[in-house]
Amino acid sequence: MKMVKSVVLAALLVFAPAFGQSALAQDNATAAAAAPAANAAVDSAAATNAADAAPVAAAVPAVAAPPRMKPTEGIGMPKPGEYTLQEQFTSTGRDARWLHDIMLLPIITIISVFVLALMLWVMFRYRRAANPVPSKTSHNTFIEIAWTVIPVFILLAIAVPSLGLLADQYKPAPKDAVTVKVTGYQWYWGYEYPDAGIAEFVSNMLPPEKALANGEPNQLAVDNRLVLPAGRPVKLIITGSDVIHSFAVPSLWVKMDAVPGRLNEKSFTIDKPGVYYGQCSELCGARHGFMPIAIEALPPAQFDQWVLSQGGKLPGAAAPAAAAEATPAAAAPKVAAKSAPVAPAKI
Amino acid sequence: MATAPDPRLATRNRRTMGIMLLVAAAMLGLGFASVPLYRLFCQVTGFGGTTQRADSMDGITAAAGHSLSIRFDSNVSPGLPWTFYPERKTDTVTVGARDMQVFVAKNLSDKPITGTATFNVTPTQSGAYFTKIQCFCFTQQTLQPGEEVRMPVLYYVDPKILDDPDNKDVQEITLSYTFYPVENGKKPS
Amino acid sequence: MTTITATPDDFSGAHAHHDDHADHKPGFFARWFMSTNHKDIGTLYLIFAIVAGIIGGAISGLMRAELAQPGVQYLQGWASMMMGSEANLDQAYHLWNVLITAHGLIMVFFMVMPAMIGGFGNWFVPIMIGAPDMAFPRMNNISFWLLIPAFLLLLGSTFVPGGTGLGAGTGWTVYAPLSTSGSAGPAVDLAILSLHIAGASSILGAINFITTIFNMRAPGMTLHKMPLFVWSVLVTAFLLLLALPVLAAAITMLLTDRNFGTTFYDAAGGGDPVLYQHLFWFFGHPEVYIMILPGFGIVSQIVSTFSRKPVFGYLGMAYAMVAIGAVGFVVWAHHMFTTGMSVNVKMYFTAATMVIAVPTGIKIFSWIATMWGGSMSFKTPMVWALGFIFMFTVGGVTGVVLANGGVDDVMHDTYYVVAHFHYVLSLGAVFGLFAGFYYWFPKMSGKMYNEFLGQVHFWVFFIGVNVLFFPMHFLGLSGMPRRYPDYPEAYAYWNKVASHGYEIMAVGMGVFFINLIWSLAAGKKAADNPWGEGATTLEWTLSSPPPFHQFETLPVID
Repeated sequence: MKMVKSVVLAALLVFAPAFGQSALAQDNATAAAAAPAANAAVDSAAATNAADAAPVAAAVPAVAAPPRMKPTEGIGMPKPGEYTLQEQFTSTGRDARWLHDIMLLPIITIISVFVLALMLWVMFRYRRAANPVPSKTSHNTFIEIAWTVIPVFILLAIAVPSLGLLADQYKPAPKDAVTVKVTGYQWYWGYEYPDAGIAEFVSNMLPPEKALANGEPNQLAVDNRLVLPAGRPVKLIITGSDVIHSFAVPSLWVKMDAVPGRLNEKSFTIDKPGVYYGQCSELCGARHGFMPIAIEALPPAQFDQWVLSQGGKLPGAAAPAAAAEATPAAAAPKVAAKSAPVAPAKI
Repeated sequence: MATAPDPRLATRNRRTMGIMLLVAAAMLGLGFASVPLYRLFCQVTGFGGTTQRADSMDGITAAAGHSLSIRFDSNVSPGLPWTFYPERKTDTVTVGARDMQVFVAKNLSDKPITGTATFNVTPTQSGAYFTKIQCFCFTQQTLQPGEEVRMPVLYYVDPKILDDPDNKDVQEITLSYTFYPVENGKKPS
Repeated sequence: MTTITATPDDFSGAHAHHDDHADHKPGFFARWFMSTNHKDIGTLYLIFAIVAGIIGGAISGLMRAELAQPGVQYLQGWASMMMGSEANLDQAYHLWNVLITAHGLIMVFFMVMPAMIGGFGNWFVPIMIGAPDMAFPRMNNISFWLLIPAFLLLLGSTFVPGGTGLGAGTGWTVYAPLSTSGSAGPAVDLAILSLHIAGASSILGAINFITTIFNMRAPGMTLHKMPLFVWSVLVTAFLLLLALPVLAAAITMLLTDRNFGTTFYDAAGGGDPVLYQHLFWFFGHPEVYIMILPGFGIVSQIVSTFSRKPVFGYLGMAYAMVAIGAVGFVVWAHHMFTTGMSVNVKMYFTAATMVIAVPTGIKIFSWIATMWGGSMSFKTPMVWALGFIFMFTVGGVTGVVLANGGVDDVMHDTYYVVAHFHYVLSLGAVFGLFAGFYYWFPKMSGKMYNEFLGQVHFWVFFIGVNVLFFPMHFLGLSGMPRRYPDYPEAYAYWNKVASHGYEIMAVGMGVFFINLIWSLAAGKKAADNPWGEGATTLEWTLSSPPPFHQFETLPVID
């Protein structure tokens, strides 16, 4: 199985450059053309932005989107046969994983082994053959107090770092955080970048053959990823459109319900560029198991490039035009050579 | 009751059963009463990011030098053919000072439609301090076919937020609305 | 310690009396359909629970078959069979949700609860306190017969439209708005009605137990002399009485939201879907203790019997159960850590949840202390009880992990949670059930079970469920969400292992049924007290099986 997979991957890599570039070019052209129009027609919220942006966007050449990033095997996704938490890429994730791996797991293992050892000893020492006459002891105040108080101290030892971790997880994002609006639908996710003026696009699961062709894990790969910057604080504001969904990415230690009629927020900073996968984690109907999440964390410069390619504007920039000229559009093809052949298209 | 011939026992049993039935009924009542109680609890404590409501700003003085970013988020239920968005996505306000944001709603259909908005703020611990003086969400809104309205929200952030350690690091509060159609026969609970 | 020191000799007078006319039984129909006899009703409950358990267990077999490898292999075929026409993919996926919902509801409401409380509670609470019967024998009968329509409604809901496909696919938690606007069709209504009726049955049963235990104890049987099994049923009955009406209110509002245009949980009308979760878990968390506490009681009796020693720290054991029950009402929101609650609320529920580990620890260590210095024999009931103690410990410590709100952010709704609650329920409550079944089978049937088959059953089942559920911890840590019919290739390995575990467990269940049928048909006649001097509670002073009416002259406990 693994053999077949690597052969396919190798073949893909060989063909990727040529195919990738042409696909990129096409998709970008359509995306750029469609973007302002879609803004104006669909989302009046962006109408003011579109009014500013449309003439400019039409005048300057579109910025090429950075190439679609290839996931690294075993990073941001489960590993085959894994029996630990996924490797973490946020500071709260690392702290939480530390709490689990270094505190909780050893403590619960020791308690379980201790109970098992006690039981085995008792079963051996006080079996009927070895101890035909039972004692009549049914009280021992000291030991009863001990097994009440000692667990209390163990729990306190757990509670201190645990509550500290909670406080850290709730640290609000700074106000210049990249904010993305996440909406759960039956059965896909919608992503909108209110500050950049990128209207909502939807993210659907890729069918198995396409996922495989992309070199991405089946059941996790999506058509349009949620693109975020690595190394910059991110704030997700999350809601549900129809029923409750839950936005979850295990390798970023993120899980937040998308509840219709109310907003939740979650802040984090992704340490490293990469692709991080997750899955809807609240039962939401028939295709609950088929609305995965894929986050593509780009280096900041490439993220800005991506924002511009989607017709968005950068913070502080008066209009997309100024920033568009500054971005190294020439760099795109170079990286594109390494990419898989599907470019993010705006819907 | 062939097995309980003692009449005193039968009386005692009936009394116990009566008390237990009352307990069960009380818990049932509590279950239903939880609807208004939960709402009251949310309104008083700001639980779940429930905002506060005030008629005026008497006694509130602006805390100069302390400002917060306010982000505005808008949603429309899939069953409502409206567009609905804030005129600005974010505002910077001084804590304790009144500010106004305008939301624009437009009926895209060819029928008059009544809508009503739910709302909350994030981070949820800021709900107790986010106070609205005037809001379109206090009442239902009816839009004629093609009609566009600009709806103001008058609000301030209570300066007490500055004394709350849980809100110490909050730099931005997001106010979110979701517009739903008011269906005939759906009574607000 | 307050052991009951009565011996069979103390009741020899009453005994002789029984043999004259206490065994005068009504005819078949009157005896089994209009029964007012707590032992017959207990038997009916046990038979019902076994039937429901077979159905619920078969459903989990379907689920493990589908999950044995990645991809969707069988769902579409099964859905087509149910619908009588070619099912599309969405209907197949919906069937998955129906299966998980039915498995959960059946195992909770129609297997564990009827067996623990209705079955063993009915059989042995009156006998253990020296009462001739339950306080309200006819109400007892009603409680049982309400379960039948409830179960039929739940099974029937599987064959009517429930949104995307046939049946209620909302999960056993029936969260709004998936269960309201998200599930058109009558299936969810039928499932809700089923819960109403099962809930009414349990509330009546709870009132009956409370009244019986408070008023019908034999002279000298003070509360602090009651066997721990009776204590466990008393605490359980109070949990039922306080928790189930809240569920009834919650799902009644669900029903009116679905059918009568109210908006209790609908944001469109000013309601809040999260309120439903608060109400559900206010019931749901005590519910898990309702399922496990009688198991605690059974294990206490068995450990004491087979160690030939009174229970260590009797009062601590009794009040630990009271404490678990009480604290169980103030920890519910740890099931909702990801709904978006503020940091203080999450900290409170984290801390409160951890507190439960203290009384639970007291129980575990007290059982070990009971065995310490004892003279232990390892008959089948004792082996199951020992299995219970260890498996419950493993399930309990993973509960401490999940209690941490900050850690739960990644564990919530993953297979880690599935593993945790199956360790405390499928390996905890179910081990308690089997322990009780083997312990009391000679008393209930008058026949001895086959000891060899009992031991084989234990070991095969023990290995099976551990192979089945332990890998689910790994899947959960690695991030696999629950309620998924399909998964990425990476999760294939442990899923395969788990499905093999199910096969082993199924073999173990086969051994159980062979043992059951063989023992009923050809088992040796059981002595009044087959367990010897360690068995000190009142049921062992009666014949096996006990007379149709026991204690017509009340026993006196010194």
